[in-house]
Amino acid sequence: MKKLLCILTTMFIVQLLLMGNSAKRFGEELKLDKSSKISVMLETPEKFLKKTVRIEGMVTGVCKMRGCWMDIASDKEFQKLKIKVKDGDMVFPLTAKGKYAVAEGTLYKISLTKKQVIEMKKHQAKEHGTKFDPDSVKSGMTFYQFKPVGVVIKNKK
Amino acid sequence: MNWRRWNNIIHRDLGYIAFGLTIVYAVSGIFLNHKRDLNPNYIIGNRVFELRTNLLDTNISINVINNILKTNGFSQKYTGYFKPEPGVVQVFYPGKTVTFDLNTRKGNVEIVKNRSIVKEMNYLHLNTPGKLWTWFADIYAVMLILLAITGLFVLKGKNGIKGRGAWLTALGLSIPVIFVIIYTL
Repeated sequence: MKKLLCILTTMFIVQLLLMGNSAKRFGEELKLDKSSKISVMLETPEKFLKKTVRIEGMVTGVCKMRGCWMDIASDKEFQKLKIKVKDGDMVFPLTAKGKYAVAEGTLYKISLTKKQVIEMKKHQAKEHGTKFDPDSVKSGMTFYQFKPVGVVIKNKK
Repeated sequence: MNWRRWNNIIHRDLGYIAFGLTIVYAVSGIFLNHKRDLNPNYIIGNRVFELRTNLLDTNISINVINNILKTNGFSQKYTGYFKPEPGVVQVFYPGKTVTFDLNTRKGNVEIVKNRSIVKEMNYLHLNTPGKLWTWFADIYAVMLILLAITGLFVLKGKNGIKGRGAWLTALGLSIPVIFVIIYTL
């Protein structure tokens, strides 16, 4: 009986470990063959809104609390695009940083008032463990994010 | 055999079967309950360091990155790098990110480690695999309902559902009701 219990527990733990390591696909299967350049999307965002597109690039940041977003490096220097899901829809691994992501979904616009910008920056500062001065925000802002329906994270391009 | 004996056999055997999954959901539940304060899947460590370099130019080439890494003791092969803004570079290693800022001459090493076992428990708890696991988790939920119901009728007499058990069951039912009233009114 003791032996059986040991074997069952070991099998269960090994199974759990194997399942965890194979999770590199999130959401639906990717259908598109060609990726759009992030730089082009951010230069002419209105052309891409409400269209299903594919993007790809190196993962440069992942939500540390709930894995609900990832930053994807653009093909242009100093530029990135945030892909964001509703909490729990997809949980991106923190270890994805430096890996290569391919995502399919839609670009969407976010317009925030000054008060909303302050709230957002406060949240970001808390997440990054940095200081934030609310007086540094002078106005509202508009930016773009990507809502994925499917994501694949690979070790290399 | 009377109904109570059957009730107790069902309660006992379901209890044995549900043991492992209950531990998985309970342990993972504690971590997920505190996800606002800590990452339930990873242990994240940060170390700030003074950057050793004489460079002033914030236009950083790959040679400069390699040189700075070597000077600051990062000899391991990296998987990629990204420049979020002029003078700042993020360098990615498996499980580690080194960020350095030539403007402030500061660097940061972020090390990410898996919360072994707990991460896999969370994977199941959040139904990340979907597919067959969804059905298995549903069966487990039905088992818990049966365990709860049969549990009420394990004992008879003053400690059973007609005595002390009634009061404790009422107490257990009232706790979620009180919380809903407090938080929604």
